Amino acid sequence: MNCELHDDLLDDYVDGVRATDHRSDERFAAFERHLAGCIRCQALVADLTSIRVAASTLDEHIPPPRLWATIASSIEEQQRQPWWQRQLGGAFSAWVPTAVAASIALLLVAGGWNVWQQRRVETSQQGGAPQPREAVPAEQHYEQAIAGLQELANAQNAALDPETRTVLTKNFAVIDRAIDESRAALAQEPASTLAQESLLDALETKVALLQDTVALASDTGGGPDEAAAAVKELNQ
Amino acid sequence: MRTADLELAARCRAGDAGAFEELYRQHARRLFSLVVRMIGSVDDAEDLLQEVFLQAHRKLSGFRGDSALGTWLYRLTMNHCLDHLRARQVRMNRATESLDEEGAEEPTAPAPVVPAVVSRLDLERAIKMLPDGARAAFLLHDVEGFEHREIAQILGISEGTSKSQVHKARMKLRMILRR
Repeated sequence: MNCELHDDLLDDYVDGVRATDHRSDERFAAFERHLAGCIRCQALVADLTSIRVAASTLDEHIPPPRLWATIASSIEEQQRQPWWQRQLGGAFSAWVPTAVAASIALLLVAGGWNVWQQRRVETSQQGGAPQPREAVPAEQHYEQAIAGLQELANAQNAALDPETRTVLTKNFAVIDRAIDESRAALAQEPASTLAQESLLDALETKVALLQDTVALASDTGGGPDEAAAAVKELNQ
Repeated sequence: MRTADLELAARCRAGDAGAFEELYRQHARRLFSLVVRMIGSVDDAEDLLQEVFLQAHRKLSGFRGDSALGTWLYRLTMNHCLDHLRARQVRMNRATESLDEEGAEEPTAPAPVVPAVVSRLDLERAIKMLPDGARAAFLLHDVEGFEHREIAQILGISEGTSKSQVHKARMKLRMILRR
């Protein structure tokens, strides 16, 4: 008899279901006969039963007493808010670091992008060749975004586990190399649209990587307080 | 039971602060344990459970008594946990996806030794290594003691999927605990 045919019954058996509970189901009786003579299934049942027993006796985690106090005061606060703010709820506070990072990047990058696009349109309307180093305004805005995000990321970097930090360092090295190479290519051919776009792509990738770094750090301990402190420093 | 749930929900909706505290006291301990095991962090679990209860307070007007109030709260909690884990996973994948092309690491083979008695500490560690869906079903079934029918309601899946997720979780735990 094939052991795999009984996988579904095996879990029921581990949960305490027996053939006597399913007199009308011949498969249960067949499974129990199979089990009596199958060492593999006996070992499996023993292991899964041990897991089941251990799982049912796991310790309870006790919520700290302050949790109810926090919830009760948040409810009171909510009830004083207008209805539309109540609907948005407390989910907002958890996103503060990410929202800060995203806002910095979005404002700066969008500004730069607009300037760059405007220049492209002007150049095309004039019918002339693109001007040398046309991407400079967008590039500067990306760099400002990167600098702001880099400060946030540095402030929260310690919250990341060493393995994640190692991978991120490696990825930042790769993207920095790509930025350097794009800049070198652009220096050689300042009018090349391909070289300009390649540089902006690389800068945009770095912005995204920094945003993810900030969000990851806030997931793992570098919370809103750390982000707020970093932003305060940035603003000074 | 349902009548008691509906009465409690009605008292909460009517602004009876004592009723909502009663709801919290009835379910907070079990929900907190579940959240800690789902997301693997006591600090994050506090924040997440706070969000769950605040959302429950806002959404109680939508509770019609189709399921037990506890099941409804478990559903809210698991949705929050899974959203939290999904967001974390997306960020982790994006940030740590290697920008260099490299070969994948070789998986390590498990040694064929099964401990006679599973220690709770080992099991807690092993549970953290389960895929999110299997972990959710396993915690609800084997730790919290829900039936597959109830798990199906809580997770928004079929009973068959619940069974197969619990099976998958147990088999994976067995493999991890054999190392």
